[in-house]
Amino acid sequence: MKRTWIMLCILTLVATMFAGCGNSKPAAEETIKGGETTTQTSKDEEGKPDFENKELNIAVFEGGFGRAYWEEVISRFEQEYQGVKVNMTSNPKIMDIIKPQIVAGNPPDFIYAPMTDNTGTVQTMIKEKALLELNDVFDSTLTGESAPLKDKMVDSILNYAAPHSDGKIVVAPFNISTLGMWYNADLFEKKGWKAPETWDELFAMHDTAQQDGRFLFTYQGIYPTYNDNIVFPSIASAGGQQAIEDAASYKEGAFQSDAVRKVFGLFDTIAQKGYLMPGTVAMNHTQAQTEFLKGKALFIPNGSWFEGEMKDAPREEGFRFGFMAPPIFNKGDDRYALTVYEGLFIPKKAKNPELAKEFIKFQYRDDSIKLNAEKTTGIVAVKNASGLVKDFVPESVYNSIKIFEEGVKPLIFQWNVTPKTEININKEMFDAISSVMNKDMTVEQWIERMEGYATKLRELSQ
Amino acid sequence: MNTKSRQWFLVFCTLPALIIFSIFALYPFFQAIVMAFYDWSGMSDEVTFIGLKNFETLIHDPKVWTALTNNVFLLLVVPTITMGFSLLFAVLLTRRKLRETTFYRTIFFFPNVLAIVVISILWSFIYHPTFGILNSFLEAAGLNSWIHAWLGEKSTVLWALIFPMVWQAIGYYMIIYIAAIQGIPNDIYEAAVIDGASEWKQFTHMTVPLIWGILRITIIFFFIQVFNQSFVYIQVMTDGGPDGSSEILMTYMYKQAFQNGNFGYAMAVGVFMLFISLTLSFISDRLMGRDAVEY
Repeated sequence: MKRTWIMLCILTLVATMFAGCGNSKPAAEETIKGGETTTQTSKDEEGKPDFENKELNIAVFEGGFGRAYWEEVISRFEQEYQGVKVNMTSNPKIMDIIKPQIVAGNPPDFIYAPMTDNTGTVQTMIKEKALLELNDVFDSTLTGESAPLKDKMVDSILNYAAPHSDGKIVVAPFNISTLGMWYNADLFEKKGWKAPETWDELFAMHDTAQQDGRFLFTYQGIYPTYNDNIVFPSIASAGGQQAIEDAASYKEGAFQSDAVRKVFGLFDTIAQKGYLMPGTVAMNHTQAQTEFLKGKALFIPNGSWFEGEMKDAPREEGFRFGFMAPPIFNKGDDRYALTVYEGLFIPKKAKNPELAKEFIKFQYRDDSIKLNAEKTTGIVAVKNASGLVKDFVPESVYNSIKIFEEGVKPLIFQWNVTPKTEININKEMFDAISSVMNKDMTVEQWIERMEGYATKLRELSQ
Repeated sequence: MNTKSRQWFLVFCTLPALIIFSIFALYPFFQAIVMAFYDWSGMSDEVTFIGLKNFETLIHDPKVWTALTNNVFLLLVVPTITMGFSLLFAVLLTRRKLRETTFYRTIFFFPNVLAIVVISILWSFIYHPTFGILNSFLEAAGLNSWIHAWLGEKSTVLWALIFPMVWQAIGYYMIIYIAAIQGIPNDIYEAAVIDGASEWKQFTHMTVPLIWGILRITIIFFFIQVFNQSFVYIQVMTDGGPDGSSEILMTYMYKQAFQNGNFGYAMAVGVFMLFISLTLSFISDRLMGRDAVEY
């Protein structure tokens, strides 16, 4: 009797384990259903757009923006498309959750994730061409609108949504954030300082800042990539779009151009002249940002999420977030600000791609865009966004997109996709800043290093 | 119970553990070795066999060799310092009849119950360049020229990482050594004292040989611990910086696998690490080959 019991226990144990380990389809589908939020009621099957498969599985990144928007938009979508059932899985680590499904060839129908997703899943899926082409989505016209969707999008953003330069759009750009430099608007007003327009003006503030017990500049220390907010727009400003394109495509001599030399030189100036807040190199992002809020440094690079990110951090009295695009070299140069976006994707192996496309279109309707701003303070990458969302977002976020109405040009930077390699050129480019700040590296050495990696990537791509 | 049913019983008892171990330890372990020979992003169902190409890349990748140098540095320095201090404290707390023994034992062991992430965050504030206790102390002592951005400079970053590791580990090994020393019969020491052996003589000629077996085991522990745990310290405190100068093989492997979408290559780095740890345990076993003295 006892033995039968033991036998039974072991058998169950073994069976459960194998069931859990196999990447069989039913198991995977069950996981998705586990995340659903809506109730299951049988609805009339007579909605106007009719789809054979009425079940849509979506995976949603639950970052700073939360999931409230998605819950609401799903219920609106289900109301309009009768009989459709949307199953949502949302999680801050959504990519880790869906990775096994993707590997097993059974991905969700729709993914919402930042392009800078730190698991690299999005970038890898782009690299491996595992995403569905979305050109027809952007060629179509939304109900009640006159122009095709592609005309509604922010200028030229769709060029970046086709990363293989074959014209195939694989990313639907969703929330955009603007990145630039931040200062204490309250302090500047009180002291009668003006946000600098050129680098000379910015560097000239050093003496004034010192008299006030402040340093000129700091950045997120052990994560020097935050300086992309400054580097890429400044290169574009000094050398035009061409300089940026040359760099992004690893063109020979791209990093020896005057534009790049000038921009790298800015960091050398900051290091050599003592403009950097001491200790910056050793701080993590929270520490450096806190020091900035406490008034130790005048400027810091960051994105428009800054206010939300630091809402609980201590700060000097009266602190108000002031935003500006990185300065230019000479008055009259074009001024750029880096823009990053989150994407909506449909994997090539999605079970229900047609309905997923409808779902993507639904996100670009004016009322969805407003709903998004209301629930998340996010700004969708459409032309008249600032008008649509003005009432819903904090002042600092609003100011960060208003600069584009004041003549600043948006810049999206993406390194050209290469075959798999151990080289992470973006990391190499910005890690060098630590060495420059420690005076271990000259501008020439930095350029040489970048040219070296660019050559390798160029050879790899051929 | 006859022998046969006894055997069955044993099989039943060990089977669940064996199955779990195979699935969660052996299978991934061999899978990792196999993946080192493939070109795989870790994200797709496209897997291509490329033979030894990942290893070829590895040999020509200067980052791997920098990382290895850092690994070796940590492996040499951390165990040496930790072992020295743990032994010293263990001897002091057992051979000297201190009244505060229990108090010290608790204090020294305390860091061991903290999570390593907590320790890392704690120490990154100790090292904080502007209000960290270390720099504030140096400033108060008038040693302004000694002030550094400890975690941000190439020359100081590795040493700055070593101290939290030592601080965390001392208590644990101290307890092990105390237990070992307490196992030595007291009359041996009494005899030595009568014969006029100094404390140092007692330590080198009696304590160390008598606990040699334990010391040997802890050296293996040290290697495993430093090899595995240093990842967390570096991930939290420096992210491999500044400019890659505190990168170790584990952090490099992690970055290749999860940030650079190059899983196959990461596994090759993993196999390289496996090779190194096997060599290390072999060498340490050889070096420490001397037998423990029995009493």
